[in-house]
Amino acid sequence: MATMVLTLDDKAAALGRVALFDGLERASLLPIADAATEVAFGDGDALVIQGQVGTGLFIVVSGAVRIVLSGEDVARLGPGDYLGELAVIDRQPRSASAFAVGDTTCLALASWDFFRRVDADPALAHALLRGLALRIRSLSEHHHH
Amino acid sequence: MADTEALIDELGGLALFADLPRPELAAVAHTFEEEWYADGQRILREGLSGTGFYVVLEGDVAVRITGEERARLHRGAFFGEGAILLGEPPGADVVAAGRVRVVNLAGPVFREFLMRHPDVMYRMLQEQTRRLRSANRWSR
Amino acid sequence: MEPLATAPFPPGDYPLVVVGSGPGALQVSYSLRRLGVDHALITADDRPGGMFLRFPFFQRLLSWTKPYAPAPRGTRAYERYDWNSLLGDEAEHRAIQPELMDGSSEFPARPEMEASLAEFVRRSALPVRYGVRWQATRQDEGGFVLETSAGEYRARHVIFAVGVAEAFTPEFPGREHVAHYVDTRPAESYAGKRLFIIGKQNSGFELASGLLSWASRIVLASPRPAKLSVQTNSLAGIRARYVQPIEDRFMGGGVFILDAAIDAVERLGDRYLVRTRASDGSGNLDVEADEVIAATGFTAPLLDLPALGVATFGPSRLPAQTPWWESASVPGIHFAGTITMGAQGLKKNGVSGTGAVHGARYNARLLAGELAERHFGIPRPRPAIDPKAVVDRLLEEAADGPELWNQKGYLAFAIVVGPDGPHEDGVVPLQAFVDGDGGDGVAMTLEGDAEGAIRPVAYVRRGGAISELTLDPEPLHEFRASGDSRRRLTEALRGVLS
Repeated sequence: MATMVLTLDDKAAALGRVALFDGLERASLLPIADAATEVAFGDGDALVIQGQVGTGLFIVVSGAVRIVLSGEDVARLGPGDYLGELAVIDRQPRSASAFAVGDTTCLALASWDFFRRVDADPALAHALLRGLALRIRSLSEHHHH
Repeated sequence: MADTEALIDELGGLALFADLPRPELAAVAHTFEEEWYADGQRILREGLSGTGFYVVLEGDVAVRITGEERARLHRGAFFGEGAILLGEPPGADVVAAGRVRVVNLAGPVFREFLMRHPDVMYRMLQEQTRRLRSANRWSR
Repeated sequence: MEPLATAPFPPGDYPLVVVGSGPGALQVSYSLRRLGVDHALITADDRPGGMFLRFPFFQRLLSWTKPYAPAPRGTRAYERYDWNSLLGDEAEHRAIQPELMDGSSEFPARPEMEASLAEFVRRSALPVRYGVRWQATRQDEGGFVLETSAGEYRARHVIFAVGVAEAFTPEFPGREHVAHYVDTRPAESYAGKRLFIIGKQNSGFELASGLLSWASRIVLASPRPAKLSVQTNSLAGIRARYVQPIEDRFMGGGVFILDAAIDAVERLGDRYLVRTRASDGSGNLDVEADEVIAATGFTAPLLDLPALGVATFGPSRLPAQTPWWESASVPGIHFAGTITMGAQGLKKNGVSGTGAVHGARYNARLLAGELAERHFGIPRPRPAIDPKAVVDRLLEEAADGPELWNQKGYLAFAIVVGPDGPHEDGVVPLQAFVDGDGGDGVAMTLEGDAEGAIRPVAYVRRGGAISELTLDPEPLHEFRASGDSRRRLTEALRGVLS
């Protein structure tokens, strides 16, 4: 299994591409990056199982991930893609399962670690609130009955 | 000032303020202003600036975009935060559906309020996430 | 005051009844009478004045009347500089307050305000029935029945201009040992006493200012910190005149200001012990005092109106109102005077309409006009206006309209477009225009921003949708002279006026 050692900067850069953290300043991202850990998966290993309590977010660093919804493959993630972004806040049950394809390395951020950082920085919470409001607004504007 | 104890109790029963100890709830009760609306009165106005933040205490409100009802909100729900956070007028009207009691906070002091009550902000984060999940589902 | 040979308005049936004796009641009654609406005006007081018969205790009013102003006395433009006189149709009914001031201040003393209201009644020969106390209310198919000390008054419409001056003290152990602001005695009687004032709003600071030279020590306490009007750039908060106790506190002169709640007041012989609890959770503090006064605010004396269905809200239990000051839950019950602060308007950026005299007098005059039109068949004049003159007219009202200046973001000058072109709708509540379902038109108001700059704001209604146009401030408020405002307004009204 190949292992990668990501620097704090690498981790912050990866996190910065997650929509939830869009617009956050690098200074706010570093403490979150510090809480994120590299996790290695072998071929077929499960990252998350459909229906389980969501514990956090995964960003694919290398390798690939299959998304399986009720037994059917519905998507494939590669480096830079992520899943469970909202679970880092609300820990809702996973809507699908995810399995590694070949050796895969991910950056994982647990919701409790994430919250510890947000707790220490209310301005960060405010920025996240803003980001969510923006996404809700743009989705509402585009949705038709 | 008239007895705010009843208002403090009421706020304590709402999810948004569920984590607050009583002294903090009292501070919240003193910071917000109670308002009363008759059926059909507009609370939030699409396209107008300077709107505030509202939490529903009693009754129902209808969310309307160009006259068409999109959602109903009930006791404990909040609205108006999007416009304040984004610095843009609201994208929808919110109208009283029957008699409604709300508490209101002016836009200019919203951020300061959240900073002073981070527990409220986290509850809002969770609710916003729920709304985003819901909006994501509808947009497919 | 000479009693009338026969007291007017005996108990009986009237098309409308007004209850009250203060500026709100007098203004609405005067305006109704001028419009030809038959009605009764009754009050429990024995002379006109409302709250000004008693308050404020130690200070002059917070509202100014400038004897020398940029506009001649008695003109509409002068109203901006005279917040205390009522609005008269005839010259001798206007600008009465400055005639009765002794020149030592631009703020009338309480007796001067009381005198000015009495003079308004005298000069306009406004009929008032004194000494009639409203005691109970009921509703039947004929309308409302007011039970009073003189008998029953029946009317389809009642205007309650009863003020917001009923003493309120919250519940806490030992409340019975605490006097309320309304029972404050002459200043000398507090000489040498350690005073504890519960409440840090204007009434609390008014007492503290007035008793600074008498009390040996003053402690002011309430849960929330004092907010100063000079910080909010508005009339909300402690007014500048009352800042002396705050300065005193910084200089260690015997004034102490606590952000604390009152847990209890205990009597210890001829002294009191006030048990307080700090708002920041830092602990308890017991304070000894010789006198404890609750400057804890007021409620509206609505008697049994809530039981009748009148919805109320907030710490002062103000009645919830429509934009035209009718009860939001019981049609036929209307409000005038201070109590109209329960109709908050659009509350843009948290700023509401004012119930103070200078604002409420316009509300009262507008209420009279609206009732006259809606219920008494007396339509408001709506003169046609040349479409080419509309922009000028709007900017003129923005520059000079006293209604807009005294009720910013609350009253607006409206132009409505009929099948034959634009008509002046006159001054209307802005909320009524914005939330109304009228045809195309435009309403101009003034709004202050957080930095204190005053801007004209036009609300344009086109095909049922409202848009906002915020114009730039001008250094001397000469909005008519701004070519840019003129151009932007013209552009915004394209296709609306024709």
